[in-house]
Amino acid sequence: MTKMKRRTFVGLAAATTTALSMPSIAFGALPRVVVIGGGAGGATAAKYIAKDSKGAIDVTLVEASKRYYTCFFSNLYLGDFRAYGSIGHNYYGLAVNHGVNMVHEWALSVNNAAKKVNLGSGESISYDKLVISPGIDLKFESVNGYSAEAQSKMPHAWKSGTQVQLLKNQVKGMKKGGTFVMVPPPNPYRCPPGPYERVSMIAHQFKKSNPTAKIVILDPKNKFSKQGLFMEGWQKHYPGMIEWISAETHGGIKKINAATMEFETDLDTFKADAASVVPAQKAGRIAMNAGVNNGDWCPIVPASMQAQADENIYVLGDASIAKSMPKSGFSANSQAKVAANHIRGSLTGSKVFTPRFANTCWSLVATNDGIKVGANYKATNEKIDKTSGFISKTGEDSNLRKATYEESIGWYSGITSDMFS
Amino acid sequence: MINKSYADQKQLVGADVDYGEHLFGECVTCHNSTGLGQGIPKITGMKTSQFITKILAYKTKEKENAVMQMVAERLGEEEINSLALYLSKLK
Repeated sequence: MTKMKRRTFVGLAAATTTALSMPSIAFGALPRVVVIGGGAGGATAAKYIAKDSKGAIDVTLVEASKRYYTCFFSNLYLGDFRAYGSIGHNYYGLAVNHGVNMVHEWALSVNNAAKKVNLGSGESISYDKLVISPGIDLKFESVNGYSAEAQSKMPHAWKSGTQVQLLKNQVKGMKKGGTFVMVPPPNPYRCPPGPYERVSMIAHQFKKSNPTAKIVILDPKNKFSKQGLFMEGWQKHYPGMIEWISAETHGGIKKINAATMEFETDLDTFKADAASVVPAQKAGRIAMNAGVNNGDWCPIVPASMQAQADENIYVLGDASIAKSMPKSGFSANSQAKVAANHIRGSLTGSKVFTPRFANTCWSLVATNDGIKVGANYKATNEKIDKTSGFISKTGEDSNLRKATYEESIGWYSGITSDMFS
Repeated sequence: MINKSYADQKQLVGADVDYGEHLFGECVTCHNSTGLGQGIPKITGMKTSQFITKILAYKTKEKENAVMQMVAERLGEEEINSLALYLSKLK
């Protein structure tokens, strides 16, 4: 009963605010939401605001790409478990099924005072509420010697798309018995288990066609997500192939040279025949332009995902500081539903429910060997706090691991349908 | 007070269809509402009693699956009934 009273109260409060602050409604114009970024956060937010408001809110999604390739499952493409086309999606469903206005442009800047987004075309769009879900930008300079030019020799492949195709091409073309070097990023970064799933998928390729190849992981960290599970899997499926070297062992990467494919550390200089370097990360540029960041990431109000710096802007997904939630597509999708509910409440007076957040990350170690980690979260005044969680166990039987992998396929189908149709 | 007997009850105490629709957003991150249900079963079209029985089995950990046990763990009676009511209205 307490919960019911609280919801009613929040709903009424929102309705009152709406009547006072939204005079445009009185003249018949619909309140307008602009969403920047068509990934797991932005596409979900645009869909849910449009779907649930049933025409009462004008929703525009600004996304440069007409076809979106998910970062999640791009590792499975590397391992030949998915075709490239199967991780690409379009926005027809959002337009046709939910009436979302798609604008395929870059969002160049935000004028917070005038509540306008300026586009690459020179046009601008006004908003009552703005959702910024730009994902990450890469801090190339965080790895000495790495650059936008070097990404052709040592793909980061951390934003999906053609970088992943390039990396796969280099993995498949690597000389027999050669060495692949993987440099994961420092915390915090998009998809914590991602670099280690990537290593697993590359090892899977090598096992088939280049069994004497080696993989060296030069990690800027001393521990990593699902470490025990990955280490066990690597020993089981790819014995002797993968060497993980922690920061305290190699003493830090001093310099890399894309021309000679050398990685200089205190411990040794490693020569690679193919490599992937994933540098440190920060919120996508438009978040910085909107001034909703504090340093590399954007502080948010945990209960609503509103930017602490501007109550008319919501920041979702990787760009936000959503402690304790990891930066994942699942997290962004979950946060988007909280924000969508809050935005509708403030623009139309609809009920605002107690925020509920969740995340699960599946990873594939080898054929039919899936592992997962997940948690529930709630909003406190300070942060998005973990309330309970689980992780796969070492030594699980193969039937459970196969079911976990199959579950991840179901999840991919579910979340992409949730985002795009 | 959650027990299996209320799976058989006709009345869904405290159920709110809007709340159910909102909560359903959490389900469809994984349960594809349109697809074939590969890897993860479809839940649309499930009977109310069947839904409640399954959720309670995850909540009591009689039924295995780490994700579903976690989902069910924080669903109270009001949430389960609201979801059941919403699901019953889906085609």
